[in-house]
Amino acid sequence: MTLLPGRGITASLIAFLVVGAACSTGGGTSGAPLPGCNSGTKQALFWTSHTPPDTDSEKHIVDAFNKQSTTTCVKMVAVPGSETDIAKLTTAVRGGTGPDVYELDRFTVAERAAAGVLEDLTPFGAPALASNYLDFAWKEALFKGKPYALPDDTDARVLYYNKDMLTAAGVDVSQLDISKGAPTVDMIRTMATKLNKKVNGKYTVVGFDPRLNQGWHYTWGFAYGGSFFDAASCKVTPDDPKIVQAFKTMFWDWAGQLGVNDLQTFESTYAPDTPPLPTEQDAFLTGHLGFVVSGDWVLGWLSKYAPNLHYGITYIPVPKQGDTPATWAGGWSVVIPKGAKNSQGGWEFMKYFAGEQGQRVYTQETQHMPTWKSLLTDTSLFPGDHKLFVQQLAVAHSRPALPVGALYWDQLTIAQSSSEHHSKDPAAALKDVATTVNAKLQPFCPIAT
Amino acid sequence: MIAAPRFRLSADDRRNLRTALPFIAPWIVGFFAFTLYPIVYSLYLSFTHYSGFGDATPAGFENYQHMVSDSLFWQSLGNTLYYTALAVPVGVVVAIVLALMMNQNVREVAIYRAAFYVPSILPLFALTFIFIVLLNPGFGLVDYVLGLVGLPAVNWLGDALWTKISIVLLAQLGAGGPALIFLASLRAVPAELYEAARLEGAGPLRRFYKITLPLITPVILFDLIYGTILGVQIFTPAYVLAGGTSGGGAYTTGPENSLLFYVFYLYKSAFQYSDMGYAAALAWVLFVISVVLSFAILRWSRQWVHYEGA
Repeated sequence: MTLLPGRGITASLIAFLVVGAACSTGGGTSGAPLPGCNSGTKQALFWTSHTPPDTDSEKHIVDAFNKQSTTTCVKMVAVPGSETDIAKLTTAVRGGTGPDVYELDRFTVAERAAAGVLEDLTPFGAPALASNYLDFAWKEALFKGKPYALPDDTDARVLYYNKDMLTAAGVDVSQLDISKGAPTVDMIRTMATKLNKKVNGKYTVVGFDPRLNQGWHYTWGFAYGGSFFDAASCKVTPDDPKIVQAFKTMFWDWAGQLGVNDLQTFESTYAPDTPPLPTEQDAFLTGHLGFVVSGDWVLGWLSKYAPNLHYGITYIPVPKQGDTPATWAGGWSVVIPKGAKNSQGGWEFMKYFAGEQGQRVYTQETQHMPTWKSLLTDTSLFPGDHKLFVQQLAVAHSRPALPVGALYWDQLTIAQSSSEHHSKDPAAALKDVATTVNAKLQPFCPIAT
Repeated sequence: MIAAPRFRLSADDRRNLRTALPFIAPWIVGFFAFTLYPIVYSLYLSFTHYSGFGDATPAGFENYQHMVSDSLFWQSLGNTLYYTALAVPVGVVVAIVLALMMNQNVREVAIYRAAFYVPSILPLFALTFIFIVLLNPGFGLVDYVLGLVGLPAVNWLGDALWTKISIVLLAQLGAGGPALIFLASLRAVPAELYEAARLEGAGPLRRFYKITLPLITPVILFDLIYGTILGVQIFTPAYVLAGGTSGGGAYTTGPENSLLFYVFYLYKSAFQYSDMGYAAALAWVLFVISVVLSFAILRWSRQWVHYEGA
């Protein structure tokens, strides 16, 4: 039996319709207002890759915005992603289903702007807001002198220490009082060594694991006075002798002394990355670490999960007595991706989210710090030790905002790993970083921020 | 010389073709739009500098030339070939052993078959997370068992020497799929051959090496080629194990870059470093490598594959 051609065409048309319907995105940013939005408002889609408790606070900000906005109704969606992995965003933008606002790690703004993923915010009037923001944060939001983001938070890193553990080991913790200035690396090493404890050949307590938490290449490079980028020559400078020394001391020597495999076993047990332990089981909070370099967000963890832990805060250790202490500040930002369907609505929300009202809520609820300058003078936002972090901001470094920022980070991490494992000399490993990253950086030079 | 007959469609054939084409049109359109076009487009992109947005700028052979001096390219290629060279033969052996076990004439065989096959249909993402827990050097079951028999604990995921071996072990959880194919081939071996061998006094091992193994060599060849093509594309376990991120996670690509596999590097080039042109070039080089390896295995197979009736 032969089917009539007409039936075949009808069948194929139906098939096309089915396939077409299946392939349609169902996206779009307009539609009926969401609960909590005012009637007549147009929907704007906001994507964040943050996780709780930060997203809880972000939801509060979105709800507050929606309540007062007569033009825009923001729908917040948590999406997969990370500091440098924006595969979800790029594919969605290319497919025409991207959001109107995206939360992006600020040190990658220049990189994403250079790639053409972001809208220039100049036509929206962003330059007029510049004076409201901390200078370093605003500069991170620029690419070739134009703003592509609004900075929505920042942070700083310090050395936390467990007073009870140190006292029990016979250490006089008054030496670590922040009023006495920054401790030296040698001083911390001596104290930390007293805390190391092994059971059945495995560490159960490590005094100080310099690479854990925020013990990054940038952290120690800055602490040793290193410079990661030379604007004049438009070259990254990871092979700066001071950074090489930082790698040698903090990764090669320290990890070698503790045994990098033993250290890795300790980290996999008490501080794994994949999957991470719940915050309440953090190694410092549970007494498995005597010292840790971390940020202001840990204050929130301490008050919530370990209210009885006697901790102290001081500067990140310096190489020599009397050296100027250093830290670095990072943070996130909000951007409008290319192809946003409601960019004006997105911009209205960004101004609120990264403005005084949004950042006030976020600071209060998450213990991050604001980039909105006037909020930094509101002492009610920084109870207890949080004010110490605010003081750090004045002298904090920031990662160079480069169009190859993610590659630079990855390469530094590889060099850090090879130094810890003694598979490559720090100087040689960092020279490789310079070669690889500068090759990718040169097409973007000169970089005007 | 006799001319080859010209291929002509009869009126009925043409009518049938007209009827059939609309039915298969969705597939044809899908093939051109979602398979052929991306393949051709990626070849074009590989000769450009392209971030994924805006215009692609011509780059000639720059992307391919860059690979020669790109240490990460060589490292990722080395990691991938190391993994493939280890995982594929081990995978064949495990699949054959599983198939032999599934082929036993016992009452509960259906349960065993299901039990051996189930891991291969579980999402690799979930399996990897389970594996992370099993291999944890502090509280993982694997090191605990090693300790019980007096062996030293292994830092499976933290020591660059063991990370790839961990993924080879993980890959064996997917051996249930190939094992089913081997099972089918085992059951196709004529029973009279075994009976004749038994009468001649051949034991189980001899029967396996002299009858079973030669007769399943075509399936071994298939599994080798299929496994190699999949092996060089290894990505998911490394992505999950290493966290796949920068800026927050510990090692972006495992200790000492030991989990930077080729496709992982390709992914990072495309989506983290916004270098789609280079990623496209990497993809084409991988394609060529896969083809070369497949042909090499095919050529080698002439020496050991036994085709029944050939």
